[in-house]
Amino acid sequence: MDEPILSVRDLVVKFSLRGDILTAIRGASLDLYPGETLAIVGESGAGKSVLTKTWNGMLDANGWVDSGSIMFEGKDLAKFKTEQEWLTIRGSKIAMVFQDPMTALNPLKLVGKQIQETIELHQGLHGEQAKKKAIDIISQVGIPDAEMRYHQYPHEFSGGMRQRVVIAITVACNPKILICDEPTTALDVTIQAQILELIRNLQKELGTTLVYITHDLGVVANVADRVAVMYAGEIIEYGTVEEIFYDPRHPYTWALLSSLPQLGVKGEPLYSIKGTPPNLFVEIEGDAFAPRNPHALKIDFVKAPPFFQVSPTHYAKTWLLDPRAPKVEPPPIVKSMQSKYKEYAI
Amino acid sequence: MTRKELQTLTAIEDDALFTFAQYDPEAAEKTGYSDYSYWKSTFRIFFKNKTALLLLAIMVLLVVFTVIQPYLPNQKDPTKIHIDPATGHQLRNHPPSKEFWFGTNVIGQDLWARIWSGTRTSLLIAIIVGIWEVVFGIFIGALWGYVRQLDALITEIYNVINNIPNTILLTLLAYIMRPSFKTMVIAMCLTGWLGMARFVRNQIVIIRDREYNLASRCLGTPTWRIITKNVLPYLVSVIVMRIALSIPGTIGWEVFLTYIGLGLPIETPSLGNLLNEGRRVMMSSHLRYQLIFPAVVLSIITVSFYVLGNAFADAADPRNHY
Amino acid sequence: MLKYSIKRILQSIVTVFIVITVVFLLMRLLPVEGYYGERADKLTDAQKEAILRKHGLLDPWYVQLKNFYSSLFKGDLGNSIIYRRDVPVVDILKPKIPYSFGFGIASLILSLIIGLSMGIHMAREKGGFWDNVWSAFVVFINAVPAAVYLLFIQMYVTSITKLPILFTKGNFVSYILPTVSMSLGGAAGYAMWMRRYMVDELNKDYIKLARAKGMPNKDIMVSHVMRNAFVPMAQYLPSSVLLTISGSIYIESLYSIPGMGGLLVDVIQRQDNTLVQALVLIYSVLGIFGLFLGDILMAVFDPRIRLEKEGGAR
Repeated sequence: MDEPILSVRDLVVKFSLRGDILTAIRGASLDLYPGETLAIVGESGAGKSVLTKTWNGMLDANGWVDSGSIMFEGKDLAKFKTEQEWLTIRGSKIAMVFQDPMTALNPLKLVGKQIQETIELHQGLHGEQAKKKAIDIISQVGIPDAEMRYHQYPHEFSGGMRQRVVIAITVACNPKILICDEPTTALDVTIQAQILELIRNLQKELGTTLVYITHDLGVVANVADRVAVMYAGEIIEYGTVEEIFYDPRHPYTWALLSSLPQLGVKGEPLYSIKGTPPNLFVEIEGDAFAPRNPHALKIDFVKAPPFFQVSPTHYAKTWLLDPRAPKVEPPPIVKSMQSKYKEYAI
Repeated sequence: MTRKELQTLTAIEDDALFTFAQYDPEAAEKTGYSDYSYWKSTFRIFFKNKTALLLLAIMVLLVVFTVIQPYLPNQKDPTKIHIDPATGHQLRNHPPSKEFWFGTNVIGQDLWARIWSGTRTSLLIAIIVGIWEVVFGIFIGALWGYVRQLDALITEIYNVINNIPNTILLTLLAYIMRPSFKTMVIAMCLTGWLGMARFVRNQIVIIRDREYNLASRCLGTPTWRIITKNVLPYLVSVIVMRIALSIPGTIGWEVFLTYIGLGLPIETPSLGNLLNEGRRVMMSSHLRYQLIFPAVVLSIITVSFYVLGNAFADAADPRNHY
Repeated sequence: MLKYSIKRILQSIVTVFIVITVVFLLMRLLPVEGYYGERADKLTDAQKEAILRKHGLLDPWYVQLKNFYSSLFKGDLGNSIIYRRDVPVVDILKPKIPYSFGFGIASLILSLIIGLSMGIHMAREKGGFWDNVWSAFVVFINAVPAAVYLLFIQMYVTSITKLPILFTKGNFVSYILPTVSMSLGGAAGYAMWMRRYMVDELNKDYIKLARAKGMPNKDIMVSHVMRNAFVPMAQYLPSSVLLTISGSIYIESLYSIPGMGGLLVDVIQRQDNTLVQALVLIYSVLGIFGLFLGDILMAVFDPRIRLEKEGGAR
């Protein structure tokens, strides 16, 4: 594989919340390779969004990078402080598509203008030229009547169309890395597929590196090359999409896959992960997932596991991979994955 | 197995740790919880505001003092006209001294006693108006929100009253009735409830229509619980804020009505009357104390209530509870 | 937009009629003694009745109301009773309008300049030193009754700066203090709302997207935040314009400016019922008209309202 375009090492992110300190990212490491599509999955609050927000300085005001590094084009983004520094990254290098297109656009500004101002920022075009380019991009993202749409306000667009506009804005940035933070969660199922298709086509055209944040494993199977699974502010397993779906190793990944409604067996209750994610206000000893893990070992409560290599591209952070550990079979649903996965990914 | 036992285990035999632990469903549930409490957060943020705390202390002292002042020793009657024993005339414009701390006014009344008596009058008006505003406002607001047949009617009435500048409405009402304590209170009560009613109406529409309340109801939460849990805390904080803010507001109106000649009768000391009396003599620099003393007391009262009302409103806003 | 405007115009007209009727009827509740003038005790009962008849006060209320409206449509607001006996109200008001108008416009412009720049500065430095300084100013002006600080300005600033205490026509130096003091209240209000609306806008999602696409904060402020924050302000602009133009009651009487605001204080103290009634009506109509213009202005600025707003309570 190539050199990573972005590489995160031992990142710790903290927030001050209601007078207490919360550790949202507890030492996450991750590599992103040029041109690939990486999906970051995990339940709400696992730190997926926070992790990517550290890459373009978009953390909320009460959060900060406590330690660790984020290397991108020879610079450590974790050390960035001033707006001036971040302006060299935002948009032009790393752009973002947000979850809710209904609120992501300025309601009082023409849609076309909002795209145009982005072009003027990043492509050195101005006035009529920028406007022409904006109209081009509007049709590029699959919005008909681009000329007319340029002169409309966001409330005249449907949800799916607005998400296309948001995507158009990121296209106008022409970024190296595009982060899609649950880009389809707020949309109708029928629209979801169209938006995913659009992003995939644009990636092919522009050669962008894509990062998907999602808790929808269906989306993952459709779009991703590689998957990173997050739990309680850590990445606990990562590998190619096939490895994560066919051969998952971490008990949390098993649980996550078992709770996929698409994989449920008719007539049997749907699997759900028992318990709740840990309280991030207190320091976690051992493996964060241990209290909810039916396969937990005694050592899980004492010491956090290191990463064990499964294949050159597949790593998992669980003591079950230690040679001393007893052999544990993944749950039957996960074992039957291979066949189901094929029909499901189409 | 306790943590201590486990740690001793680590020291003795590493391999023993690689056996299954007992799965404890209770421990799994225990990990994640929210310790959020509306009132705890509200008070935590309020008490972090040092200016507000200082003003709270000043305000409590001031209010307590205003109430007990007449019962303290050596206090004078606010309406008694003092006579200069040397000349037998009224003790006019006597500058501040040991005997008359804030001096006397143009007809020889003790300004210190008049200021506290005036503060009592003005605070009383403010509190009556504030409470009325809350009670009547909630009543009308509830009708407005709940009784759908009344919605259009009350909306129209609201629009009409709200369309007229408050200054003018108050002036007109005070002009029609004869100047008195009652007139002042009634005029302010007639105009003050609008904001509160509108707020309550909006809250009720929210209870009715907001998705989280709808969801809560679908889960079988009884209406009273939605009201006590989702609406009342917010409402209580709004009530506190309204009463706090009605004090500077009411005092302001009182001063205004007095200024244009529709205030309380001159015999009744009030902050508006004192200010007006002081204004008449303010251009002679040795008599300015007659304006400055009431103005300073009035400003301390209005500023502290205003800041406290707003600080409490900020603290009570869940959006600030991060 | 057109439908909304028409609806809003009709609504305002109805409100104007209701207000005029209610004000007129309320004024009928007043004791009639005011109409006898200064020599009331010397009049015989017959003379008194003649006066009341002349003013139409012996007619039933609906006839009075009808007569009032018919003269109102001819532009006749009645005659003064006490202030300037038997002089038409319209003639009394006419020379006063330019004063109120001039001072109103001048102080409005000043208060907008001070208030908006203060509000923008506060929002940008939120939580910082200047935010606290300006906030203290805003709190003081909002909390303390205007009479207090206006009196102190007149009392101290005149002696420190040697500016004239009273207004003299043609002496421009005497215009400074009234204009500046008149603009303080408005400035504090504009500053507070501008800051609040800007902070509200700053917390919205579209600001996140604007930041994420690499827009410098300065540009976001100018082309997104300030723009959007000004829209809700626009709603209140016309009413404050109209009400400032119609003269500040305090300022005009404090500085003896012969405008409408000062006149109101005068005629209230002298109980000239027709002039009080006329001024109350003028101010109310200006208020209603201001809110109407505000709603229209808001709809012009905000495309969502243009299409969706149904009217109803604000």
